Amino acid sequence: MIHHGSRNIFSSRHRHVLSEMVRLKSRYLLCEVCVSDRSNLLLLDDRAIYTAAKAAVARAHGDYGAALSSLGFSVKYLNAHTGIVFLRCRKSHYRLIWSALPFITSLENRGQRVPCFLNCLHVGGTIRTCQKFLVRYNTQQLHRMLPLCQSEGMRWSALFLYISSLPMHGFLIADNMPSSLVRFE
Amino acid sequence: MAVFMDLNITYTTDKKRLRSVIETAAHLGYSTVAINYVVDLQQKKQEIGKPKCVLELFDTFPIVQGKSRPIKVLNRLTVVASRAAHFKPLREYKAYDLVAAYPKTETLFHAACMEFTIDIICVAATEKQPFFFKRSSVEGAIERGVFFEVSYTPAIRDSTMRRHTIANALNLMEACKGKNVIVTSGAGKPLELRGPYDIANLGLLFGLSEEEGKAAISTNCRAVHLHGEMRKTALGIVHSMKNEQPLTERQEEEDVPASKRAKIEMAQ
Repeated sequence: MIHHGSRNIFSSRHRHVLSEMVRLKSRYLLCEVCVSDRSNLLLLDDRAIYTAAKAAVARAHGDYGAALSSLGFSVKYLNAHTGIVFLRCRKSHYRLIWSALPFITSLENRGQRVPCFLNCLHVGGTIRTCQKFLVRYNTQQLHRMLPLCQSEGMRWSALFLYISSLPMHGFLIADNMPSSLVRFE
Repeated sequence: MAVFMDLNITYTTDKKRLRSVIETAAHLGYSTVAINYVVDLQQKKQEIGKPKCVLELFDTFPIVQGKSRPIKVLNRLTVVASRAAHFKPLREYKAYDLVAAYPKTETLFHAACMEFTIDIICVAATEKQPFFFKRSSVEGAIERGVFFEVSYTPAIRDSTMRRHTIANALNLMEACKGKNVIVTSGAGKPLELRGPYDIANLGLLFGLSEEEGKAAISTNCRAVHLHGEMRKTALGIVHSMKNEQPLTERQEEEDVPASKRAKIEMAQ
């Protein structure tokens, strides 16, 4: 069976050992960072979310939780404009880490504290499934928000956010566009 | 997916804050929310007033994420009970869609489970419960269709309250075996809400199984809502609607859903 996933730059779940294929199964938690003030979102980076999530798991589940989260837990992708995060954990422990995420109340970045919460939208086995969900979710968001947009500029920024959710190319576009083009007023 | 409800949003006189909480709830995917008016009758002779009309808050209700319907807002009353005499008035209860009790003593808890006309019994979240749950009273409540509510916002705010919430919740689960439990926020600010799937997972911490956790925010909440409606309309017999002819009212009552019908038959 050909594993297309191993050619995907986002998937690193296959470890090719000479004698056998060891499959590290993981779960990708697709979360949305919800803030009261959208301009604060741009301050975030993946380090901040990583440390916040680790601290929350350590607080909620103690040393056991801290040990679990040091194993295969990482922030795979963060889109600062829309606030979408991909968290990756081991399949055997993802529930425990997930159960500690509601206790995150703020994220810290370079001395600045942003009050927020993480809303988990989807759990997938691969980044691909999460991306498929994200496309559907963003379409729904677009349907909700376009009627509320009052100006042409806002409509374009909404469309841009939708495009940025498309797999592979969407991520690359989103990361390279200047941030001044994307402002939700 | 299923219909998610959050039945505990603390009422604040600040309209803007209330509005932002409800908008956040709609964004997260909750189809129904209930604004909670807490009344502590022991202090300064507080009166059970009428709830504010829900239409005052919004011109158009925000649309729920993932569905095309606007969010539904209910009114709920919580009576902090320290004496049984607090539960006499019934006329004011009719104005509220849901009525809850927060018993402070063992005898009141037993009475609330067995006799009072309420829909929800609140489990303490900010302090260690001074009494244990007796299985007989809890089973009596389950038979009547009264639900137990665990609130999660104190757990998010503070660490000691987190311990109390989890301890009380686990205590409850031992007595009720995971049935008739709802999990709600007690959110006063929009940042204190959490998404429905996160809450279903929090149920694991409270001792609920995976299915029970999901039921705690969807099917059980719906059952509470129906129970409240049943209480308001006197067991489903009296149903007042404006500009409707009596015959068509009767027809509507015939299409009562099975769960409600079962509860009506049980209560009779």
